[in-house]
Amino acid sequence: MASRPASERRTILVTGGTGTLGAELVARLAGGSHASVVALTRDAARPRPGTLPPDVQMVTGDLRCGSAFGLDPSDAATLRARVTDIVHCAADTTFNRPLAEARATNVAGTQGVLAFAKECRHLQRMACFSTVYVAGRTTGCFAEQDVGGADGFVNSYEQSKAEMEAVVRDAMRELPIALYRLSTIIGDSRTGEVTGPNAIHHALRLLYQGLAPMVPGRETGLVDLIPVDFAADASHYLFAHEFSAGATYHLCAGASASATLGALLDATMTAFERYRPAWRKRSIARPAIVELETYELFVRSVEEAGNQVLLQATRAVQAFAYQLAYPKVFENRHAGVVLAPAGIAAPNVLEYYDRVVRWCVEKNWGTAS
Amino acid sequence: MTRVGIDALTYYLPAYAPTLAELEARGALRGPASTLAGFGFERARVAESESHVDMAMHTVRTLLAETDTSPEEIDLVLYAGALTSSSTMECAPAPAGSVLQLRDFMDFFKYPVSQLQSELDLVNASVAGIDQQGCAAIFSSVRLARATLVAEPDVRTVLCVSADRLPHGASREVVYNLVSDGACAMLVRREPKRNRIVATHQVTKGAFWDSGSLENEIIAAYFPTARNVIGDTLRKAGVTLDDIRWVIPHNVSLRSWEILLGLIGCPREKLFSANIGRVGHTIAADNFINLRDATDAGLLRPGDLLLLFTFGYGLNWSCMVLEH
Repeated sequence: MASRPASERRTILVTGGTGTLGAELVARLAGGSHASVVALTRDAARPRPGTLPPDVQMVTGDLRCGSAFGLDPSDAATLRARVTDIVHCAADTTFNRPLAEARATNVAGTQGVLAFAKECRHLQRMACFSTVYVAGRTTGCFAEQDVGGADGFVNSYEQSKAEMEAVVRDAMRELPIALYRLSTIIGDSRTGEVTGPNAIHHALRLLYQGLAPMVPGRETGLVDLIPVDFAADASHYLFAHEFSAGATYHLCAGASASATLGALLDATMTAFERYRPAWRKRSIARPAIVELETYELFVRSVEEAGNQVLLQATRAVQAFAYQLAYPKVFENRHAGVVLAPAGIAAPNVLEYYDRVVRWCVEKNWGTAS
Repeated sequence: MTRVGIDALTYYLPAYAPTLAELEARGALRGPASTLAGFGFERARVAESESHVDMAMHTVRTLLAETDTSPEEIDLVLYAGALTSSSTMECAPAPAGSVLQLRDFMDFFKYPVSQLQSELDLVNASVAGIDQQGCAAIFSSVRLARATLVAEPDVRTVLCVSADRLPHGASREVVYNLVSDGACAMLVRREPKRNRIVATHQVTKGAFWDSGSLENEIIAAYFPTARNVIGDTLRKAGVTLDDIRWVIPHNVSLRSWEILLGLIGCPREKLFSANIGRVGHTIAADNFINLRDATDAGLLRPGDLLLLFTFGYGLNWSCMVLEH
């Protein structure tokens, strides 16, 4: 890659720039440097996130359309000529998508971004976002240098991201890429706001509605969750200030900032009662924490009974809850060493979890104004 | 503490026992018979000619005869009914679309327990009805019998009786369970020869009172609360699941019991499940039908600790530990 004179303005292309993390990251990239930021978004109709600075350029394109993202060829060529940095955030994070569909975005889409990157003659650095859950069904400690999937995966999202990582690692031989594996993002630690509800929030809603009788796992099993502001601060710092091509970082809570499944369920019930006192009258019990075998028997029974409401509820929980049955701790030593001097660390989930649940309850999971 | 227990018990089941296929052919199931078969049911017991009061009378007569108990010995009758109709007399055949027919408001005052006391010459017994707890009503009657025997020295023998029959034409399937008609009766006394009541526990969640519109929420609520109630009962009894020799169930689906056993960490072998398939869920008599059959089958030894658990609309979760 040919380097540009330092005086020339950098151009950072961010895929998924309007997503939960992407929007936060774009705001930091645009605000913290003299770079031009181009946010690639698939949905032209999607409202511009309020966090995006006005000088961020929005470009509508689709990773699934190949290395030009479906852009006009001349626009794509112009973009290639400008881009010095790529931050690849875009992903299909739906856990239970058919594998072929998940692969279309997460694997083929990434291949398109990498092909685009190879044609950017001024490219200096690229970040690809993955998930710590490429660990799949692995139990125990999962470190940043580990490659997951040896024991299989819980859902198509995990599998497609692991396959994406293989593609990215292969491209690392030619491109300056760092890999950032994220834990599950549950909201903003300062406000509790949830900009992108995911399976965790769906499960919280089912629990609130009294439709989640049990979850697989262990009372003392750790659940790794992070707030979006930490994810954005950490990835921005690593990319903008401590970029290291070929590195893999875990942006996760780790053992010290995680809470047990039992503690999270307790905190959930407490928050429901606190922020919706009338909910207490519904006498909804805390879900039982059960062995995977028992949970699967319940799911199978619901399927056999053909109860559509419970079927949808169990499927919504199932996609992520199975991961709870494979207890593990994500080790984040490399990220910690680099981030600590900057004072960036994931807060303990119990310090802000209450705010997230409060936001969900008071905003009716984002449907209330 | 005064030792109180179930000194004797018996039950009545109608002779007519249609299979799932027969019930399906009659339109008496909500869903396919195969689903209920997969959940462990085989046949139901259906009262064709006998009323719930007939079943109660028959059961109590049998109990008194089997135990050589004089009617004069009964000091208190606690008559439990799961269905609202079980607390009234059947005064007329219910017209199509109705489940209960009363000809006159005075029919409200015709009580089965009074008729039972009269016809069986229980001349020394006062009576009370225990209802509005669904299938947990008979557990409440045993609990109240125990409390009475502890509190009132002049009461020596309490007759607990329960009889329920679904209205003619009603679906035999309720929340993936196959419902049967039946009755049970028991004598609760101080210093019992067997079945000492070690602990009882009940949780009521009235928020689910509208059972017809909250079916999914009720299914979801059942399991975690059942686990909690069983745990609390064991704690009250000062024992653990390891100490329990047999779980004597209510005859809801075997599948739901397998799930609940998984929740509480209880081996499948401890569940007395022989009657779930062949008897079905008799609304309010299951546990005591099963207790009697397990006894008659020679499965229970003196000193065995038994866990009885049931669940009733309302919602009510009830549990007791007995020492056989």
